[in-house]
Amino acid sequence: MSNSYKNEKMTDTERISFVKNTKRKDDYLIIMISIIGVLGFLIIWQLAVVFGLLPSRYVPMPTEVIKLFAVKLVDPNPEGAVLGVHILASLQIVLTGFLLAIVVGVPLGLVMGWYKGFDSFMRPIFEILRPIPPVAWIPLTILWIGIGLKAKAFIVFFSAFVPCVINAYAGIKQTNPVLINVAKTCGASNFTTFYKIGIPSALTMTFAGVKVALGNAWATLVAAEMLASSAGLGFMILQGRQFARADIIILGIVVIGVIGIIFASILGYVENRMLGWKK
Amino acid sequence: MDNNKIKLKLENISQSYITKDNVFTAVSGVSLEVYDREFLVILGPGRCGKSVLLNMIAGIEKPVDGSIFLDGEKINGSDERIGMVFQKLALMPWKTVIENIEFGLKLKGMNKKTRRETTQKYIELVGLEGFEKSYPNQLSGGMKQRVGIARAYTNSPEILLMDEPFGQLDAQTRYAMQDEVLRVWDAEKRTVIFVTNNLEEALYLADRIILLSKCPAHVKESYDINLPRPRNTTDSDFLHLRKLISDNTDLAL
Amino acid sequence: MQKNNVVMSEAERKSFLLNKIYKILPIISVVLLILLWFIAAGAENSNFPSPQEVFLRFITLQQKPIKEFNLFQHIWISLIRVFIALIVSWIIGIAFGILIGWNKKANALFSPVFTAFRSVPPLAWVPLMTMWFGTGEFPKILLVFMGALMPVVVNTQSGIANVAKMYLDVGTIFNANGKQLLIEIAIPSSLDAIFAGIRTSTSAAWMVVLAAEMLGGRSGIGFLIVRGMNSGDYALCLLSMVCIGIVGALLAIMTKYLERLVCPWTIIK
Repeated sequence: MSNSYKNEKMTDTERISFVKNTKRKDDYLIIMISIIGVLGFLIIWQLAVVFGLLPSRYVPMPTEVIKLFAVKLVDPNPEGAVLGVHILASLQIVLTGFLLAIVVGVPLGLVMGWYKGFDSFMRPIFEILRPIPPVAWIPLTILWIGIGLKAKAFIVFFSAFVPCVINAYAGIKQTNPVLINVAKTCGASNFTTFYKIGIPSALTMTFAGVKVALGNAWATLVAAEMLASSAGLGFMILQGRQFARADIIILGIVVIGVIGIIFASILGYVENRMLGWKK
Repeated sequence: MDNNKIKLKLENISQSYITKDNVFTAVSGVSLEVYDREFLVILGPGRCGKSVLLNMIAGIEKPVDGSIFLDGEKINGSDERIGMVFQKLALMPWKTVIENIEFGLKLKGMNKKTRRETTQKYIELVGLEGFEKSYPNQLSGGMKQRVGIARAYTNSPEILLMDEPFGQLDAQTRYAMQDEVLRVWDAEKRTVIFVTNNLEEALYLADRIILLSKCPAHVKESYDINLPRPRNTTDSDFLHLRKLISDNTDLAL
Repeated sequence: MQKNNVVMSEAERKSFLLNKIYKILPIISVVLLILLWFIAAGAENSNFPSPQEVFLRFITLQQKPIKEFNLFQHIWISLIRVFIALIVSWIIGIAFGILIGWNKKANALFSPVFTAFRSVPPLAWVPLMTMWFGTGEFPKILLVFMGALMPVVVNTQSGIANVAKMYLDVGTIFNANGKQLLIEIAIPSSLDAIFAGIRTSTSAAWMVVLAAEMLGGRSGIGFLIVRGMNSGDYALCLLSMVCIGIVGALLAIMTKYLERLVCPWTIIK
């Protein structure tokens, strides 16, 4: 499809490479600015502590945090566990609660969205429970089940459960009625339509709900660990407070944040694989 | 009708887009002239270069090659003297009808009182009195399009571009709007460049029709339409012209 | 005219019946829930408070305030913290969101650090905040602010960055300059995204204030519920939970009305 005209300034192939080069330069610039942003933040932080603008007793330098990371990998002081143990403890609970929430919540939401009778029955219960934030359940759960794995898993489950249901419900509700009619004219039963048309249509919103659920689960876990635990990252941070070790606290915060980002990336990757056809 | 003064001139305009590793040429080497105060219709098969051409004249896109001259001077980018009515309306849903129409004047910094006076004139011209404070989503398709026309007119452009403005309307409304456009044009004569893929519409409205080929678009032919107005779509002259142009039109599939 | 001689087809009769059943079902489920409550409370070794106990607790709380405040005052204290933090977070969040949504370079500069901070659950900051600022009002409001800021910025940025090109084109045709494009077009068209951020931030703020009060404080409804936990006072816990739920729901309704007020064009139709 390349036409050559007397007045054409560049040939087509030249234009393609010109545009690509310009784009590459732009992308490069953006990445450089981002790196400057991150480095700038760390450098300002470090210098602020070094020059006494921030009290070094309360604010550790970035370099100290990194050092502590290496140390904590093998040193169980002062709160009684190595970093790896804390991470494992937290991950255990969050993943249990989260997976359970998906397994229970998503089907529940899908069925509620599809079958009106079920919806009418479950709705009021759900609407009553929904406004109560997961953190508010912690005291009652602790009184009831006590401090322990089960209690924390339940709270994490609950916080992840709600967005799964809501999003699965909303997702299946917005199934294109035209598609449903197509299924009906092909003679499909209600269940088949639900299975082959409703559920796939609901996938995008359901996935968005799953992402929110993981974020909620992680946030609630930290809260639960702070209120009642003897291991885990939340507990580690709390102990950092007890021992007035700001560097432990910040290390904990950084690890929590990093794990959060890793979770989000994994989910993003899974989403692209599963729903790639949409783009 | 023809002043024979050239209002707008396109010289060797080309536009192409880069997709992945290919170059897609939408418009190649289009040269044409638009006379002052004529109703020019650009006719062409669907999905090919017509809207792109208008976008370049309006300044939304920059041509890869060629130049555009307005009143003899070269223009680069958007110009106040050129107004546009969009196919997809592009009415801002957060503004009321009157706020939408006065948008161009507001950008120019005119004060509220003068703005409202000018806008009122055009609201009456398109027949939307009483709907000044309504929001676009309360209006029907034809009414929304009238707002679009009033908005373009209010800015007092010298050239009015219309990009398949009736494409989204049902047939009845479309016929009514064609008469509307002619009526408004008659009341306030401007140069109009109207783009459509509908041959009857083109013949109904135009002083002159420019026929474009399919992609990559170039000018195939220019037809002077000298039929008296209002045009009769079953007139033998009308039908003769219709066959003539239809035979010459490329199909786009 | 005879009124009640409507003849319905088989299908119509069935759907009429079904609709009636659907109307009754919610009532049945609520009744079952309440029954479940009574049963749970009345069971042998259960510590679970019955509805009467909860109500009684409410009365006694009003008469004998905890730490100088009765129930409503505690709720009010929590709400004030939320309001202050919310208003500040909206102002700063929307401004910041507009900045990084509109300007690609600003986005490249600030986004990575912001995303990093965003991945940390607000509660994880509590020990740090209490270490730096003690357990007074400021750290609590700061925490709520941090929790509420994130959704506002994210949603605002997304709204501004994704303004429909169509509307910006209209501005270009009318020769709008950059500032006009931003103020007249980009911001109004992003209002629905901004309000989505406001709604999320409100529920987030309510959650964070509770957690902040639970982890250290002497007032607020979060403090009340932890008091209940620490003294084995089930009834107080449940009472607080009910109040928390009600206030949470009310806040959500209020933000919805706020949106309707600011964006009247979203309700018409």
